[in-house]
Amino acid sequence: MRTLIFCFTAILCSSAESADRFLIRAATIHTVSGTSFTPGEVLISNGRIVAVGQAITTADSALLIDLKSLQLYPGLIAANTSLGLTEISGVRATQDTTEVGNFSPDVHSWIAVNPDSELIPVARAGGITHVQVTPQGGTISGQSGVIALTGWSIEDMIVRKGVALHINWPEMGLQLGAKTKSPEEQVKDREKKLRELDEFFNEADAYAKAINSGATSLSKHPVWDSMLPVITRKQTIVVQADDLRQIKAAVAWAKRRNYSIIIAGAKDAWRVADLLAKEKIPVIYDGTYLLPSLENDSYDAQFKAPATLHRANVPLTLSFPIGSWSAANLRNLPHLAAQATAHGLPQNESLRSITLNPAKLMGVDDRLGSIEIGKEATFIAVDGDLLDIRTNVKRMWIAGNETSLESRHTRLYDRYKNRPIKKP
Amino acid sequence: MKLDPFPDPKTPSLIFFALINRVAEVQIDILRSVRLQDRENCCLHFPVVLVSPDIFMFSHRFDFRMFGLVAICVIAISSPLLAVPFLPPGHKPVPHGKHYLTGATIIPKPGVTNLNFVIIVNNGVIESIGPNIKPPADARIWDMTGTTLYPGFIDIYLTLSQSASPVVTTMTIPIQATSRVERGVRFFGVPGQETDSGIAGPSYENDRITPEKRASDGFAPDPKSLESLRELGFTAANIIPTKGILRGSSAFILLNESNPNDSILRADVFQHFAFEPERGGDDSYPGSLMGVIAATRQALLDAQHHRDIAAHLKTKPQAGIRAPTNPALDSLQPLLAGNMTAVIEPGSALMVDRAWRLANEFNLKSIIVSSGQEWRRPELAAATKSPFIVPLNFSEPPKLPDADDWNQVTLDQLRAWDWAPENPALLRRQGLQIALTMHGLADRKQFHNKLLAAIGRDLNEKDALAALTTTPAELCGLGQMLGTIEKDKIANFTVVTGTNYFIPDAKIHSVWINGQSFANPPQKPAAKKPIDPPKATKVRAAKSPADFRGPIAASKSIVISNAFVWTSGPKGFLENTDILIEGGKFKAIGKKLAAAINYTKDTIIINGTGRHITPGLIDAHNHSMILGGVNESTLPSTAMVRISDVVNSESENIYLQLAGGLTTANLLHGSANPIGGQNAVIKLRHGDAPQDLIFKSAPLGIKFALGENVKQSNWGDKKTTRFPQSRMGVRTFINNRFLAAQDYQRRWLDFKNGKGTPPRRDLELEAIVEILEGHRKIHCHSYRQDEILVFLRLMEDFKVQVGTLQHVLEGYKIADEIARHGAGASCFSDWWAYKYEVIDAIPYAGALMHNRGATVSFNSDSSDLARRLNLEAAKAVKYGGLSEQDALAFVTINPARQLRIDQSVGSIEPGKDADFVIWSKSPLDSGTLCLETWIDGKKFFDRDHSKKRSTDLQSERDALLASAKMTADAGNGDFNAAVVAFFRHAIEHEQDQHGCFECGDERHKR
Repeated sequence: MRTLIFCFTAILCSSAESADRFLIRAATIHTVSGTSFTPGEVLISNGRIVAVGQAITTADSALLIDLKSLQLYPGLIAANTSLGLTEISGVRATQDTTEVGNFSPDVHSWIAVNPDSELIPVARAGGITHVQVTPQGGTISGQSGVIALTGWSIEDMIVRKGVALHINWPEMGLQLGAKTKSPEEQVKDREKKLRELDEFFNEADAYAKAINSGATSLSKHPVWDSMLPVITRKQTIVVQADDLRQIKAAVAWAKRRNYSIIIAGAKDAWRVADLLAKEKIPVIYDGTYLLPSLENDSYDAQFKAPATLHRANVPLTLSFPIGSWSAANLRNLPHLAAQATAHGLPQNESLRSITLNPAKLMGVDDRLGSIEIGKEATFIAVDGDLLDIRTNVKRMWIAGNETSLESRHTRLYDRYKNRPIKKP
Repeated sequence: MKLDPFPDPKTPSLIFFALINRVAEVQIDILRSVRLQDRENCCLHFPVVLVSPDIFMFSHRFDFRMFGLVAICVIAISSPLLAVPFLPPGHKPVPHGKHYLTGATIIPKPGVTNLNFVIIVNNGVIESIGPNIKPPADARIWDMTGTTLYPGFIDIYLTLSQSASPVVTTMTIPIQATSRVERGVRFFGVPGQETDSGIAGPSYENDRITPEKRASDGFAPDPKSLESLRELGFTAANIIPTKGILRGSSAFILLNESNPNDSILRADVFQHFAFEPERGGDDSYPGSLMGVIAATRQALLDAQHHRDIAAHLKTKPQAGIRAPTNPALDSLQPLLAGNMTAVIEPGSALMVDRAWRLANEFNLKSIIVSSGQEWRRPELAAATKSPFIVPLNFSEPPKLPDADDWNQVTLDQLRAWDWAPENPALLRRQGLQIALTMHGLADRKQFHNKLLAAIGRDLNEKDALAALTTTPAELCGLGQMLGTIEKDKIANFTVVTGTNYFIPDAKIHSVWINGQSFANPPQKPAAKKPIDPPKATKVRAAKSPADFRGPIAASKSIVISNAFVWTSGPKGFLENTDILIEGGKFKAIGKKLAAAINYTKDTIIINGTGRHITPGLIDAHNHSMILGGVNESTLPSTAMVRISDVVNSESENIYLQLAGGLTTANLLHGSANPIGGQNAVIKLRHGDAPQDLIFKSAPLGIKFALGENVKQSNWGDKKTTRFPQSRMGVRTFINNRFLAAQDYQRRWLDFKNGKGTPPRRDLELEAIVEILEGHRKIHCHSYRQDEILVFLRLMEDFKVQVGTLQHVLEGYKIADEIARHGAGASCFSDWWAYKYEVIDAIPYAGALMHNRGATVSFNSDSSDLARRLNLEAAKAVKYGGLSEQDALAFVTINPARQLRIDQSVGSIEPGKDADFVIWSKSPLDSGTLCLETWIDGKKFFDRDHSKKRSTDLQSERDALLASAKMTADAGNGDFNAAVVAFFRHAIEHEQDQHGCFECGDERHKR
């Protein structure tokens, strides 16, 4: 409870710092949730949107920020990332992405974020304002949180803690070679792993029941305590699963136990789009740039998977594969959405898949993900179509505060651009 | 026929015995030309009187010609056929040697059947065969009614221990920086911490090159193993050495149980090669397939040098210089002289071609061991005109627990399984001789079943019988003695109950070896009926890969009208423009050309309205189409290895990258060493064989590397002894090799001017000499500004202009220096932060270097990015604000300039190759789609056609899956070696499911 109060305090503080009232005028305002306005205006007060439309008349004299030809979009949200937990993948000392141990629901990602990571400003420069920081390792890796990519301290940055419990679905692919076990034995192994996972949840259920009954003999344990939000259906579960068999098994498991889950990774999700739609399971698809699995898959199978999932009505979020590599390259998130659009995903769905849809998954859509009255004034202003690689992000506001787009990259660029020409 | 007068080796003095034995071996060689009965009439002389004392002093292979001479003299006066020994009391006497075989159907040779013939065997030899021969009074009479006699079966490629598994070179292995440790040839690491001690005693410098090893040495077979072979109908075999790359020589043996001196019919039959990259924990050079080829090539060159230096010193003796001793190189001399045949086990369809080309480089006679994969490219096998040794180790489909588990089975694996039984017949259809072998069969009892499967797929019985009898006998040089049932040949028969061996349930009744009968124990009725393969597998469902590749459209004359053309040449953008293409080249580009030309019925007309046309994209850094390892990471300099030896024309990546508009790729060696391997520039002419993919006019090149990778910074804590371990040492190392190359250059010059002895050809230094001479360009992987500058200055000291700096992440800090040196800068668009040395990488680097006058390209270094280089180019607009034309040039004319191929590709200009891409929108627009990709005026990718292709592949896979499941269900479900082989047989798809080669992120490599 104490931490929760902390959290709210942090947000109130950051809002208090913003300019009180201002009006942004842009060539186009892409609300994402509804119609776009060309031109458009949005009125901000105390870090929140109070009006949006083609032209807003205000009684008072709000500061006008005229973006002229720039277009305004909600800040982009990257789901399922390691940002803040990693600096340089090749240097072990800079890695805080992964924990050892098989069942660690009491591992919390957001407490290990380095606010001064050089990767954060680089992500911002690409229009990313928020990310879900996700722990890796083991079968149950721990819990993720959502952070804003600005703030003097972790506490400034945290937007929502305990967003989801993360499960790495046990490997179900058969390893077949000269030194491997027979398929039958491997199936026994994989069934055993699934039983272990299931048994862990059974025990968590029993603990929750005991807590509920007010049993005094119970000794409290942080692992079981950390499972309570999931057991009481207050927290969602993100299941990391790429292979068809993993996805199917996870869906069946969730249905049997009546959990709401999200499938992340989801390389093969397009093969079972109808099943996912039927069970209303959202997907964080990170396989756009992966090579097709089979040579009889069409060359663009992974490119058009987002369109396939959308057509089947699967709630879709696009992201990169979790890990250090992607953390350094989150700025390319709009390009990922653009690739999906080139291969059939409607433009506005592409936008949703990196804004409103991830906000919904993370339970922050009351504040983030679209330009709507009552939401945070978190925007990016860009000099063209956001989904075009040639476009650049020119300005950014997070919760009403204009945020710097400077990064290690721009600093080095400015420095060496101005290196005097070397004479022979 | 017995060659050795002393069945008991202990009889006379040892030296005497050894000598006789040696001579006897070589006599066999000569026997082919001498008729047996002539020798029978000779009286017996001990040949010792004729033998020069030299024989005792040198290996018998030291001077083969001299030895042959001795052997001929021996033959002339002595008889090899010796009397039956009269054994002392206590021994069972040698049985009576005269036999009369009657009543059997006789198949004296493939294609002939004799119904009423009899055979008289005398003293191990067939004395006569024919009708109406009366039994001699002194013969034992064998009534063989109800049986069929075949010439004794021969296995030409046998391991007695069963421990050797077939060589496999079908896998594409990505860079794994931590997988190899250095050691080996001439770079033994830091003194005191060498990991390669080589072989003790005189030998070749690489312990996997052991041509001096002889299968006949220490030949002492376990009687049980011989018995099991006889039970399968085999009477003789060529036993092979099983370890290493140059493995040694094989020995031809009879499978009876007698003194080894008797049962070895011929030692040193073939010299054996295997393209086997190291398996398991040992990490010596070579560790990659290209390394194996380079090491083989170097060993053969060394053997030539060994010969030449001895010859040179004979004619021009020099004080203080003598020919070195080297038993390994001695034993390669018969091969080089054409007196011996090389048997090469290449392990894949593509390496069949490489094996043949390597044999041709040295004029070697060769026999190739089939990998079972020749169906992929029958034309490569046909071109060799070599005989093939064909294992019948066909894979079996697995029994998979779950229906979804079949989803991980690739079409390629299914094809390999379905094609395998047809491969022997396919080789015959190419006009090639084949000899069958049990090699690779985990359960040799399966041989007959597998043979029937091959016969079920068009291998005719006559060919099958020849492949077990006449062909192996002739290939082994024993055609005069074995292979058919003819007068004077050795009495080796395979006797089958009933009328035919080539039917299910055929039983081996007995075998005769050297005139001795070995009856099979009466076979109990099998507990389980042998599995009859389901009908479905008797008809092939698999298609040829060739059906899915190659040009979709082509014409001498092509017209594109009214398109938006990005020329990447001086003319820039051209709107509403026509392009004329003739004979695979751009002929004219301009407005309203289309209306003015003469159309023929073959002219292809492309309506370019609304379309964007660009030159074919060029990737200056690609690792996607390389077989058997991208890195030879063992040694700090591997200038001798060649990507061109291992181009993988079978890779699905070719199609995937064509689908992104890529037409030319620079296939580079990895970055595990300061001096890496030689690169290969290819055009993505999907369907062409490896040799034909090569961009013929591209200058030679080589990969170099600096920084963390070469000093093994990220290879784990144990990798700390290979020089260099610091950036200081990188320069020292490269400087050392360049000075060594100059020294090498000078030694050759001296020799050409008549001074000194012939220098050894050193493939490593030769490649560096080519750099010094300016006709091999360096592509140098580099990161930090200091190392880049130091490298440029070092090369300037050697008057070398660097071709390209690859990655060159901090190149923007010294853009002026790079531009002035004239090195191209081939970068990533925006990679950073994956290693410490990329901490200062910025996405503006390309634009910055371009603005300072360097020739800049964006490369892929990734099987994923190579599919969308146009969008990488768009990042040059985003970061640094380049014009769209300049940005596209980063993936068209600039990489062409960097690779020195801009005279023929990289822009749409008259006279250049008609390599172009048709896009739905601007190539820099994120929403664009590559619609068609053309190379040399031929269409290799078409987006509409790709849908049909994928549907066809899908239905082929469905049919194969149904058939495989049915076969698996009919099987006993064992997870045996044949099932494991099912998963092994995929070319390319095995390990290449990942994005980039440089980063170490596991998730990125799914």
